[in-house]
Amino acid sequence: MEFNWELMFTSYAAVFTPSILFMICVGTVAGIVIGALPGLTATMGVALLVPLTFGRAPLESLSMLMGIYCGAMYGGAISAILIRTPGTPAAAATVLEGYPMAKRGEAGRAMAMALFASFFGGVVGALIMTFASPFISSVALEFGPVEYFGLAIFGLSVIISISGRSLIKGMMSAFFGLLICTTGFDPISGYPRYTFGIVEMMEGPPFIPTLIGLFAVSEVFNEVQKIGGAQQIMAKLDQYLPSWADIKYCFKELCRSSIIGTVIGAIPGAGGDIAAFISYGEAKRASKNPERYGHGEIEGLAASECANNSCSGGAMIPLLSLGVPGDAVTAVLLGAFVIQGLQPGPMLYKEHIDLVYQIFASMMLAQFAMQFIGMAGIQLFARVIMVDRAILTPAIFVLSCVGAFAMRANVFDVYCTLFFGILGYVMMRYDYPLSPILLALILGPMAESNLRRALVISGGDFSILFSRPIAVTLMVLAVISLVMAIRGHQKVEAKLAEQEKLFNEVTQE
Amino acid sequence: MKKADIIGGLIGILIGLYAIWEGSNMPEDVVMKIGPSFFPTILASLLIIFSLVLIVNALRGKSKGEVTPLKLSDKGVQRGLITLVAAIVFCIALDPIGFIPTAIVFLACMMWVMGNRKPMLMIVVPPLITLSIWLIFEKVLNLSMPAGLLIDIL
Repeated sequence: MEFNWELMFTSYAAVFTPSILFMICVGTVAGIVIGALPGLTATMGVALLVPLTFGRAPLESLSMLMGIYCGAMYGGAISAILIRTPGTPAAAATVLEGYPMAKRGEAGRAMAMALFASFFGGVVGALIMTFASPFISSVALEFGPVEYFGLAIFGLSVIISISGRSLIKGMMSAFFGLLICTTGFDPISGYPRYTFGIVEMMEGPPFIPTLIGLFAVSEVFNEVQKIGGAQQIMAKLDQYLPSWADIKYCFKELCRSSIIGTVIGAIPGAGGDIAAFISYGEAKRASKNPERYGHGEIEGLAASECANNSCSGGAMIPLLSLGVPGDAVTAVLLGAFVIQGLQPGPMLYKEHIDLVYQIFASMMLAQFAMQFIGMAGIQLFARVIMVDRAILTPAIFVLSCVGAFAMRANVFDVYCTLFFGILGYVMMRYDYPLSPILLALILGPMAESNLRRALVISGGDFSILFSRPIAVTLMVLAVISLVMAIRGHQKVEAKLAEQEKLFNEVTQE
Repeated sequence: MKKADIIGGLIGILIGLYAIWEGSNMPEDVVMKIGPSFFPTILASLLIIFSLVLIVNALRGKSKGEVTPLKLSDKGVQRGLITLVAAIVFCIALDPIGFIPTAIVFLACMMWVMGNRKPMLMIVVPPLITLSIWLIFEKVLNLSMPAGLLIDIL
């Protein structure tokens, strides 16, 4: 598929209307606030606010969600720098450099760089997304059920290999999540499975309530157990843009990290936290002064912030062109698309090509909105972190229940949210990662229906699974990523332990 | 973590066995030999296998990570349990009693549980949050909230 320049310009014009710009800005502000509040992640933010888009026009709601996504990725840096608590997991690497800088009295410099690095990474990610996804979708148009089955297996294997400390628990989470998806009508024969005779279970697990439960309510139960305010560094935030010297100093890292971030984002399953840590590690490895890392090196801060924002552009690539989310947030976004009656994937390019380009445009504008709102509101956002938990946490629970109820006006969905909230809390407590469940909820039905379809075509012959080169490649990649995860686990564990040690050193001083 | 892993593994096995048992009652496709139970059965078997691995590892003393034991005397655990009960009551009461009263009471209780007990705040904040959520969903987004007891007024 040729890249359509004309369509790109018209879609920018379409997005440049007051109502869309307004939605992008609202989303960005909400995103930054959510990202800045520790315990509220980008995944949770999008899940909580998806219900606000019910009944809006597709472009309006999607551009708002883009704003939340980009804003939250940056917002995590604010609390990372000021109260040494990453606002989102993706900002964990930012703490390592940002907090020592703030302690030195350079909070303003750190915040300015974090914002600029996020903006830079976001723009690169959005650019790569704009040019790469149409190409990938044109390849994907040739995909049959076998390829989609391979893709689903690949995505699941990646999320299992990278999430959590125990591979076995990751596997258990994934297969449990996949089993949850098999409730409801069988995709081929229509036979209702595992419904316990409950009518609401016939359609399978309600997606939005399930993930609001897993990611928001579980965090509420976690949050109420710990009380005790964080100590904020009283810093003068007098800098809005990084100095020219800082930009020049970090420029190489900015470029490298934005590419790393986009590529990692584009791999189904791997998200912003991984992108940030890998970029941070790479920056440290390539640096001429690695001994400065951990003591407030601005380059490391730039690398981590840049990578987690470029990751969002990267994660949109497989979502839009293949219908496979690139990370946990895009998995939630997929739900938002479906609510709008849009199924991401190659067919989206055939049927709604104008909307696809408008999404590109709104993603790009969200980066600019983030830079300007971030500069204008820096004082305000720094204060938001100190909101009283005793008010915030219960309010999140109420909002979760309301959001779950709103879509179908059905109390069953509220119970469902509560159930998955309790389940998510217990699983988190015992080290079972939750993201494999989220991805399984999307990839499971995709894997099953395509596998069954392929077997219908072949008349029950399993050799069809190995008849298509792309599908075989994907399945081989899936096996490789699992084998590498098993063999490399000790290495990864050592690395994690090292980073954890560094993290504890920085946070406990 | 050892005990927790063994229990976790047993739960995994039970879920898997249930899925297989339930699957065995499903009709089979005569032509294809692959019916609705085909995919869940594979998944359940894999879940059981990994649960077994987890148990074996735990028995061999290879469990990873640590978990702080739950003690009832711990203030945090007490708050967690109270929250759990409050959350369940909130969800049950939501439909019959209605969103506005339930949410106000829930928020006030939780503020008290979490240690913000300034009377002024406890009177002002819960209704404020509840009303703003209600206004956004009911009036701006036109999504209906459970009206409950207030059905005649709203």
